[in-house]
Amino acid sequence: MSDTLKIGDQELNSRLFLGTGKFSSSQAMIEAVKASGSELVTVALRRFNRAQAEDDLYGPLAELGNVRLMPNTSGAINAKEAVRAALLGRELSKSRIVKLEIHPNPHHLLPDPIETYEAAIELVKQDFLVLPYIPADPVLAKRLEDVGCAAVMPLGAAIGTGKGLSTADMIKIIVRDANIPVVVDAGLRAPSEAAAALEMGCDAVLVNSAIAVAENPAGMGAAFKIGVEAGRAARLAGLMPTSEVAMASSPLTSFLSSND
Amino acid sequence: MTPASLPNWLDPEQWLPNTESTDKNAIRSAILSENPTERELALMLSPAAGEFLELMAQRAQAITRRHFGRTISLYTPLYLSNFCNGGCLYCGIAGDRRAKRAVLDETQLRHEMQAIQKMHFEELVLLTGERMPEADVPYLRDSIAVAAEYIHNVNIEVFPMAESEYRTLAEAGCTGMTVYQETYDQTVYEKMHRWGDKRDFFSRLNAPDRALRGGLRTVGIGALLGLADPKFDMLCVYRHAKYLQKNYWQAGVSVSFPRIRPQLGGFAADHPVDEKMLAQFIFALRICLPEIPLVLSTREAPRVRDGMAGLGISKMSIASKTTVGGYSGDSEESTEQFSISDERNIPEFCNMLCAKGLEPVFKNWDSTYRDPAHYEKP
Repeated sequence: MSDTLKIGDQELNSRLFLGTGKFSSSQAMIEAVKASGSELVTVALRRFNRAQAEDDLYGPLAELGNVRLMPNTSGAINAKEAVRAALLGRELSKSRIVKLEIHPNPHHLLPDPIETYEAAIELVKQDFLVLPYIPADPVLAKRLEDVGCAAVMPLGAAIGTGKGLSTADMIKIIVRDANIPVVVDAGLRAPSEAAAALEMGCDAVLVNSAIAVAENPAGMGAAFKIGVEAGRAARLAGLMPTSEVAMASSPLTSFLSSND
Repeated sequence: MTPASLPNWLDPEQWLPNTESTDKNAIRSAILSENPTERELALMLSPAAGEFLELMAQRAQAITRRHFGRTISLYTPLYLSNFCNGGCLYCGIAGDRRAKRAVLDETQLRHEMQAIQKMHFEELVLLTGERMPEADVPYLRDSIAVAAEYIHNVNIEVFPMAESEYRTLAEAGCTGMTVYQETYDQTVYEKMHRWGDKRDFFSRLNAPDRALRGGLRTVGIGALLGLADPKFDMLCVYRHAKYLQKNYWQAGVSVSFPRIRPQLGGFAADHPVDEKMLAQFIFALRICLPEIPLVLSTREAPRVRDGMAGLGISKMSIASKTTVGGYSGDSEESTEQFSISDERNIPEFCNMLCAKGLEPVFKNWDSTYRDPAHYEKP
């Protein structure tokens, strides 16, 4: 049975998306992308280097045939800048997918819900597939769905902190209510956390620091691939419900339906 | 005249006793603390904490890696002018030094920018001396506009100015400014700055506020290590950074560690800071300011820079010329502000970073974002 992930008109076999910053070299990044099996990677427009200098990320990624590029607007501090960045990103990448990312505080990099909402409305109008990076706020997630976003990307924890699914309770509500894919973005440290996100019904995860900063990024990319696949398989197989009390495995009331 | 007291948000008085602590258990706990404050910083700045340098380095590296990844951002300085009437006792281009003075005209600036562009830099700091007719705000505005034609991220390290002047520069394409307080010790400050506008301690202290209100996005601060008690100055730098973060929540704040090199002639530091102390201060600040870029320039020797890259330090200058017209070499020879110690070219420096598993990042910002910022509600 095929289990492709559909985001707008895009179909993906891998539910692991990768960020491309923070790696020790573009070679290390490419090897990690390959090992992870990811088909969608995000690249910051601010890292796109016209001069094709040593730190250019677009060039090496473009050579990976099966990987789609999702430019992101990281660095924008308001809706106006994010829209401009998205337009430039589309021109450079020829991709209409955009990770909408507005974090006006350059230190903790937490997303601005108000500017993100305004930018999403404009970008949807301009025919982008908009994937906004947002606080794990169930109301905001629905508001963004209502204005036509292709998916929502709530954070598990602040970028780069590795604190895992610290917003799990809110993410569960987002998943329960969403009619569009939910992608956990930011905060994940271990493949087991990626598995947990997929088990709880998230459609995909986006990982950067955990892979880039690992001792062996390609090895960690491969490990996240397994984590995501395990979590998704478990979700499809149907996890047993949790309970506060013990449940007898033989029913206690079967005598009531017996005819003897 | 007794100097006016430091504002409450800055004054580190109450934590100074901790900078003399010899309580090893307290120092060790401070280094390992999850939420360090002034109290822990002061302990980490103490001479006794020197014994824990390796532990501090390991913490600093882990934090730097988590927040900045395995990367080092690169930039280069460009001296527009070394005309100066300043009275800084420690400076090579102060007004009373017999210095060869020069200022770049537009054609020379374009040659410099072409040379810098060929080196692939996308982040630049334009420098001048104190406010002079040769290099005033209109001159800076025009120079910024020219530089912004060539590269994405244009910053300044010049003289403090008014909010409206900063706005003029922001509108011309300037994204950030650096102003070192030099020292937060007002008595020493007064002794070091013999005349001129720079004698106004508080005007300089509040320059980052004016710059941010004027629409710049980033501010860099620092103390010139060696002028006064460095433990006092490091506590003030930390408190200054925290103050800016709290009051301008959208602003990028960075901290640099310029140091008076003991072995360079001319000016002897009253409070010399050796390499181990410098490293200790950088580690301590990294542990207490995990998200803030920490900068180390080519004033330091290659051995120190190579060792510190990624150990707290997340941003470095390279291929720096501290003379006016130094990049294209087509201007007359001028006196340098200070001697650089790391004279490697870009490939040499980048090879070193790559060998250490660090990616050199030239571009980390895009000119598409180049509007003046608005930190306050209209």
